[in-house]
Amino acid sequence: MTRRQYWTGIIATVLALVIFVVPFVFIAFTAVKDKAQASHLDFTWPLQFLFWQNLVDVVSTRNYMLLLAYFNSSIITVGAVAMLILFGAMVGYVLQRRQSRWNKVIFGCVLAGLIIPPAVVPTIWVMQGLGLFKTIWGMVFIQVAYGLAFSVLLYRSFIATIPRDLDEAARIDGARPLQIFLRVILPLLKPVTVTLIVVQSIAIFNDFTNPLYYLPGKENVTVQLTLFNFQSQFSTQFNLLFMNILLVTIPPLIVFIFFNRQIVAGMTAGAVKG
Amino acid sequence: MAEVVLKGIRKSFGAVDVIKGIDLTIRDGEFCVFVGPSGCGKSTLLRIIAGLETATGGTLHIDGREVSKAEPSERGITMVFQSYALYPHLTVRQNIGFGLSLAKVPKDEIARIVTATAATLQLEKLLDRKPKELSGGQRQRVAIGRSIVRNPKVFLFDEPLSNLDASLRSQMRIEITELHAKLATTMIYVTHDQVEAMTMADKIVVLNGGTIEQVGSPMELYNAPATPFVAGFIGSPKMNLYEGKLAQEMGCQTYGIRPEHVLLGAEGRWQGRVKHVEHLGADAIVHLDVEGLGSLVARTTGDTGLRPGGDVWASPQPGKEFRY
Ligand SMILES: Nc1ncnc2c1ncn2[C@@H]1O[C@H](COP(=O)(O)OP(=O)(O)O)[C@@H](O)[C@H]1O
Ligand SMILES: [Mg+2]
Repeated sequence: MTRRQYWTGIIATVLALVIFVVPFVFIAFTAVKDKAQASHLDFTWPLQFLFWQNLVDVVSTRNYMLLLAYFNSSIITVGAVAMLILFGAMVGYVLQRRQSRWNKVIFGCVLAGLIIPPAVVPTIWVMQGLGLFKTIWGMVFIQVAYGLAFSVLLYRSFIATIPRDLDEAARIDGARPLQIFLRVILPLLKPVTVTLIVVQSIAIFNDFTNPLYYLPGKENVTVQLTLFNFQSQFSTQFNLLFMNILLVTIPPLIVFIFFNRQIVAGMTAGAVKG
Repeated sequence: MAEVVLKGIRKSFGAVDVIKGIDLTIRDGEFCVFVGPSGCGKSTLLRIIAGLETATGGTLHIDGREVSKAEPSERGITMVFQSYALYPHLTVRQNIGFGLSLAKVPKDEIARIVTATAATLQLEKLLDRKPKELSGGQRQRVAIGRSIVRNPKVFLFDEPLSNLDASLRSQMRIEITELHAKLATTMIYVTHDQVEAMTMADKIVVLNGGTIEQVGSPMELYNAPATPFVAGFIGSPKMNLYEGKLAQEMGCQTYGIRPEHVLLGAEGRWQGRVKHVEHLGADAIVHLDVEGLGSLVARTTGDTGLRPGGDVWASPQPGKEFRY
């Protein structure tokens, strides 16, 4: 390592620290302060460490609304990501492997799903007609609809790198089409699947606007919407707000740490050579 | 144990006719090789027999049963692919047992069959490896093992040796021939390499442009090629073939003489000048420039004293000339 590389390394680390860690430390500090000190919103050492008290306050606010929000958000995230992966892979597989004159039309629809911006009011109108408005499952379907085009494209291009011989070998071995998909193709899609799990689950868990539009109602609250609990027009309890932010940030962080190595492995592994 | 009968098999991709009417019977237990230049439709024909492509016309019988419309897995066939097509995410053990596990064979039964098969193919030590940790020859054996456990009536091979290096190729050639001797199953083998065809086949089917040029045993094709195409394709080095005025002088459309049937000496029919000599050890291949004939290739003994630039007389061995 040359001297120059050494110093650029140091500078990069410091920059990363400032950009990523400082805000996090700010949140953590504010989250343990008392109400008065937190209201200054400055980067100072906390006078009192009220971690446990603030935590209990945040969790128990409005009849334990945060726990309900965790529950709702988890259901939406798990349900939507599972459907995105299964349907994305299935559609991508059929679209890549089976040539028909419908392919162009279907592919056009997928692209349209990626390009055309969603319109809120007509969507609500459709959901009301289907009886899905203000339901958790309605929210799941919305997230699937918004994310499906992207995952279909991702899967389709990856499946193009899997040799067709594998499908044919499995067919000769006696596998039916669904078995070929589940036992040969799907396991080989793991790099894409892991990437999608991380990207989509974090995006859906952290989604603020879509639940705001499509999922009104106190019993339907999701984690991001609990941030409203401590904000009002005239006063904001910054210590509790930041404690809430801290708590909401933790699940995506866990997902990321858990899958981090596989993401990197997946991105470098590329196609299936063998 | 099965006879394979093709009747009037045709296949077109869109407007392109790739297989133009094939009638062929492959007898029970025969080792049949489809050989022909690249793009002549060998793979397509094999895939029709496998059921991976549906024929545009004609019928296919395997073991007396009409299977033209049957699923590949119901035809009693198995196929070894050029790329081996091993499942990359499964171990060797799982690769070999995949078909059995699909057929819901009990686990201990699968384990028993896989172990026995691995033993015959010398794969015991590799059972827990993934395909990417194997060499080309080992992958080849796993692919064959996966085929054997299905207990097929007909083995299909699509250029299985073309990804191997030369020495491994000749070794695998022997292994596959021995496998055929042991199993006595009908085998259909596709290759573009006439050496593989000559050394392995009971019966060679020479394909050209989607039609059969000739069917016969290796020596039949060597001794009595039915068409100039077969004459030029079978045998190495290639037969000397002449058309046009020269052939007409000899009373035919196409005149052919194999390099090994050209005698070189101090006198003969054609006078030529040595262009190039390839020494193979026991043999030497001599390339001549003959006036009025063009180039002529002759095979002679390795201790030939011929040098490039020297003059020599060449003449065909009587009774070994081909006229079409
Ligand atoms: N799926 C396909 N669609 C269109 N043309 C094809 C297809 N498969 C093969 N062909 C054409 O059919 C001809 C024979 O191919 P193939 O059977 O693979 O030849 P080979 O004798 O080299 O194995 C080739 O000209 C090839 O381009
Ligand atoms: Mg081929």
